[in-house]
Amino acid sequence: MVKFTAEELRKIMDYKHNIRNMSVIAHVDHGKSTLTDSLVAAAGIIAQEVAGDVRMTDTRADEAERGITIKSTGISLYYEMSDESLRNFKGERNGNEYLINLIDSPGHVDFSSEVTAALRITDGALVVVDCVEGVCVQTETVLRQALGERIRPVLTVNKMDRCFLELQVDGEEAYQTFQRVIENANVIMATYEDPLLGDVQVYPEKGTVAFSAGLHGWAFTLTNFAKMYASKFGVDETKMMERLWGENFFDPATKKWTTKNTGTASCKRGFVQFCYEPIKQIINTCMNDQKDKLWPMLQKLGVTMKSDEKDLMGKALMKRVMQTWLPASTALLEMMIYHLPSPSTAQRYRVENLYEGPLDDAYANAIRNCDPEGPLMLYVSKMIPASDKGRFFAFGRVFAGKVSTGMKVRIMGPNYVPGEKKDLYVKNIQRTVIWMGKRQETVEDVPCGNTVAMVGLDQFITKNATLTNEKEVDAHPIRAMKFSVSPVVRVAVQCKVASDLPKLVEGLKRLAKSDPMVVCSIEESGEHIIAGAGELHLEICLKDLQDDFMGGAEIIKSDPVVSFRETVLEKSCRTVMSKSPNKHNRLYMEARPMEEGLAEAIDEGRIGPRDDPKVRSKILAEEFGWDKDLAKKIWCFGPETTGPNMVVDMCKGVQYLNEIKDSVVAGFQWASKEGALAEENMRGICFEVCDVVLHADAIHRGGGQVIPTARRVIYASQLTAKPRLLEPVYLVEIQAPEQALGGIYSVLNQKRGHVFEEMQRPGTPLYNIKAYLPVVESFGFSGTLRAATSGQAFPQCVFDHWDMMSSDPLETGTQAHQLVLDIRKRKGLKEQMTPLSEFEDKL
Amino acid sequence: MDLESTYEIDRVAGFISARAFRRVALQFPDELLKDSTRIVAALHEKLRFFNQLHTGSNGDAKDVRLYVMADTMYGNCCVDEVGASHANADCVIHYGHTCFSPTSTLPAFLVVGKASLNVPLCAQKLCEYTIKAGKPILVLYGLEYAHAITEIKASVGTQCFKLEVRYADIMSPVITPSETFSSMNGEPELCDAQCANGCSTEENNASYRIGGLTWSLPVGHRMEDYLLFYVGSDDSAFANILMTYNTCEIVRYDASEDLLVNEFSQQKRILKRRYFLIEKAKDASIIGILVGTLGVAGYLHMIHQMKDLITRAGKKAYTFVMGRPNPAKLANFPECDVFIYVSCAQTALLDSKEFLAPVITPFEAMIAFGRGSEWTGAYVTEFRDLITSSPMEAKSQSEARFSFIQGGYVEDVEQQEVEEVEDGVTALVNITEKALRVRDKDSQTLIPGTAKSGAEYFATRSYHGLDIHPENNFPEPFLIGKSGRASGYKNETTEKSL
Repeated sequence: MVKFTAEELRKIMDYKHNIRNMSVIAHVDHGKSTLTDSLVAAAGIIAQEVAGDVRMTDTRADEAERGITIKSTGISLYYEMSDESLRNFKGERNGNEYLINLIDSPGHVDFSSEVTAALRITDGALVVVDCVEGVCVQTETVLRQALGERIRPVLTVNKMDRCFLELQVDGEEAYQTFQRVIENANVIMATYEDPLLGDVQVYPEKGTVAFSAGLHGWAFTLTNFAKMYASKFGVDETKMMERLWGENFFDPATKKWTTKNTGTASCKRGFVQFCYEPIKQIINTCMNDQKDKLWPMLQKLGVTMKSDEKDLMGKALMKRVMQTWLPASTALLEMMIYHLPSPSTAQRYRVENLYEGPLDDAYANAIRNCDPEGPLMLYVSKMIPASDKGRFFAFGRVFAGKVSTGMKVRIMGPNYVPGEKKDLYVKNIQRTVIWMGKRQETVEDVPCGNTVAMVGLDQFITKNATLTNEKEVDAHPIRAMKFSVSPVVRVAVQCKVASDLPKLVEGLKRLAKSDPMVVCSIEESGEHIIAGAGELHLEICLKDLQDDFMGGAEIIKSDPVVSFRETVLEKSCRTVMSKSPNKHNRLYMEARPMEEGLAEAIDEGRIGPRDDPKVRSKILAEEFGWDKDLAKKIWCFGPETTGPNMVVDMCKGVQYLNEIKDSVVAGFQWASKEGALAEENMRGICFEVCDVVLHADAIHRGGGQVIPTARRVIYASQLTAKPRLLEPVYLVEIQAPEQALGGIYSVLNQKRGHVFEEMQRPGTPLYNIKAYLPVVESFGFSGTLRAATSGQAFPQCVFDHWDMMSSDPLETGTQAHQLVLDIRKRKGLKEQMTPLSEFEDKL
Repeated sequence: MDLESTYEIDRVAGFISARAFRRVALQFPDELLKDSTRIVAALHEKLRFFNQLHTGSNGDAKDVRLYVMADTMYGNCCVDEVGASHANADCVIHYGHTCFSPTSTLPAFLVVGKASLNVPLCAQKLCEYTIKAGKPILVLYGLEYAHAITEIKASVGTQCFKLEVRYADIMSPVITPSETFSSMNGEPELCDAQCANGCSTEENNASYRIGGLTWSLPVGHRMEDYLLFYVGSDDSAFANILMTYNTCEIVRYDASEDLLVNEFSQQKRILKRRYFLIEKAKDASIIGILVGTLGVAGYLHMIHQMKDLITRAGKKAYTFVMGRPNPAKLANFPECDVFIYVSCAQTALLDSKEFLAPVITPFEAMIAFGRGSEWTGAYVTEFRDLITSSPMEAKSQSEARFSFIQGGYVEDVEQQEVEEVEDGVTALVNITEKALRVRDKDSQTLIPGTAKSGAEYFATRSYHGLDIHPENNFPEPFLIGKSGRASGYKNETTEKSL
């Protein structure tokens, strides 16, 4: 049934101009996987009849069950285009055979790391937008990601069938809707424009927008119709295409084109007249089973149906007819081939984004020219669990050179520093594999510009890596991927049977490898923690862990745990002092909250320990109003030397001060990691060393005396500066019809959320709501929301910021106090907070 | 209870005179120090009496010299052999709570003391519990209650006989160094956790030993099949039992309050925390070995074994002798990422929450640094058992190690070393390259790196000692420093006297 063989596929791989690497990206439920089906069907991997129902790329049982894509799935497709369809293709090509390496990605925000991984190894993106729902949150997110990676997008307005069947809107209204969708998408694309990539906006009249109905397997671009009408009107296709979109009207009565609606009843927009109406007519005829009318129409369009298909009725008939008339694959493929870049084109401008090393060295050049004879440069973007449990395929893209079975490669991990031996391995590739639908085919080698899976490297690649030839010791790695979501929801797991612990440990390792976003760690209390981007993500992770990575051994999971941060509200009410254990040294300190935005600047890495001090003091002085000299006196950042807290030296003329600096820093790293309230990380606190009195003998002011003292004085200054808890807050975006708004508001209120933006989508009955919701309250939020709105509202939550809890954790009975007690209990600490008197000493 | 029977004056005197010790050290914990003079007096009396009995004449033989030792350097439970050897003693009489750790040079006699126990009440509780439990019971107890066990046994025997109740025996209070060595080599399989598969086959019984108690189970029985009934207070000995038999169901009878306690979530938590410490230790690159005992037999062997283990794991070890560790002492060595505390079983579990770096036991170190070994839940505190368990092969695993502390795979030092041996030239090039790397000298901000040895750590510190100004290299005029002792320098005493 498969229309091509591995040999054919392999042959095309050498024609770098005939390859398109593309990912399908969209908001959840806009029909990515369904649309992908049509393409897969055209390659003969699944039958045309079931296309749209199979969701071929949802390979996992739970994906099929839930109807959402969880993992991105790559598939290599081979097409032979007709000469006719390539007639207008201006770019370079080798024959008519094309190879499309397609990656279907998940739309749910919890899995957006999968999208990131997919985008890295593709050059173009098919952005799918539901014509009714329009551009949604996740559409914007993925588009932004795509453009950040210099991925050229094309758009398809999907679910056209809803226009015809559900909504029954008339042509002009539909046109307005589509126009708005495209406009919205273009606004986003224009925002993230990039000079090297050029104009990335999409235009129907240029053929970069398709209109599709994934479920029914048909699609068209204006090119299809332009071809059809060009001869009729005696104009060339490009001219015709322009007429089929925008302010071009045609009056069949006068047979004249105008740029304004003349107002007569027969005057209609070109798009409506020539594209929308004919389709509508065909669909209606099919749905009403008016076969006597249908056949002549089809004949006119040059569509011939097989005899057995003529017996179909209603929807099935419509599907078949439309598939034959406007096959989705043809339209989409043409769009991809014409408008998405080949690897050789794309790598020319992507090299800057990709390569970390100097852009004029041999490796950069090889990537730039997509040179199959150059040194191997291969980026592994994800690890795919193989059918034999516990092993993984390393899946990635060859950017330069060739990768072959048995080859010895240098594996540069994410922590590799050129010239050092850290995170570097030299190993053999056991097999190189390409994906053909559900099957994998081993091939001898894979040249640049293609995606590839490799066997035998899984032990050395943790999440992603750059591979190169064994001898290429000077190569720099390809830049690591940046993820747009962070793992904020955590759950503690333990095994039901204590002796399964090694299994759990092994399973967690595998889980961490299979998903770049998940973090498996251990708490101070000895509990294993899995952190994920959201509730759904965690659920999937736990399922994978138990079923796939632990062989079904039972695990117990705790309720979701949210980590908090400790901060301060004001400057310490007084300078606090602590004495060293030998009472011979005294440290004086004050804590104060950092200026607004400074903690975020440290998070983003704009300010950090490795900055040039001059640059840093400039930023601090200009943006945060710091004194220039003071900015030079930052001792350190913490926790983990890069965190959003710092120690600043404010003392003057203290003897031996430089001697204890290391000790104070060590004490600070320790204290900022475990704050005084509930041993959560500190955030946004600036500690000022006000004065230091030290013993004259070096032996009495060693680390042993100063480190514990520094920790105590930091705690004391934190406690005197009105300590507060920070809780993580989600940005929630909800799309729902008006009647669901009441339900949404009441659920949000009940969950301490607050709406800060409510906007009606122009031309739709849908509202777009943006709200902040504490992560603590978000568990079960989707479920509650669905229940309250009878399933009409679907939230997307992304971690947004830390929010200060207004209540005082030191005051008994407040919410913050209760939270602190709960955290302390969970961590197995002493129930009551250590009082200030334990940390502060009196003279 | 009177002094005579509580402190077993008779037996002690008998032990001393029978073995004809001339110089005897009496080791007291702080809480028993108040009784020491009376004990010494009583012992003198008794010894003189025995002497007369033996020699028949009055002042023929020399008196036995008794030395009282207090404030021991390490835990109170271990025999302080170093202290005793200061007095040139032939043997040590140890009073109070003890861990029954074997000694390495001196013979010792352990006097555990006797605590009062209401036998009928205890027996009744035990009976009730036995009936409820429906599983065989194993009775363990704090050593200070050993004297009452026979009575309890009798009392329980008459009250209920439905179920099997086993009792642990207390080991002989006499410890002779040679004996412990033979036992160490003679019965290598006598360790708590491994006996499940029925070793010591000559008796068809598996025997167990922990903290001075010993018992045996019929073949085919495992510890998990028994319910442990512990008589005694919630002290380190009990914690030790809880840790070691963490899979068994344990109930504790508190004699002073006449209560059954079976809520040990805190202890279970400790076990989990130890697990966390193991994970943390895996990330360490510099390890300090704290010598926590100079008496327990085999401690030197253990230290060597630890050093060997650490070196093979590609990490750096330093050994410290500093008495009982406290946060201030350990923080003087901030370069150490983790400390291993080599000491007797009952002092080894140190809650290191307040310490800059965690303190772990040798057993935990073996799990952390022995590649490929994983914790299954079994726990061993006494290093006697660790020595016997053969040092595991540190087989080099090819996969990167997963660190749960950092939540990801990390690179270990050893792997790079395995890869290839650099020839002299490249090594030299590498070193020069490192030395020539530009460092921002003006930067005030510290970025502590990950050092692999003490020297490297020191190099990354911002302060390296006194500043040397090359432009002003005239020697400073010399000054006369202070002399005398820190408690009062010479110039200070003169001031005082003035």
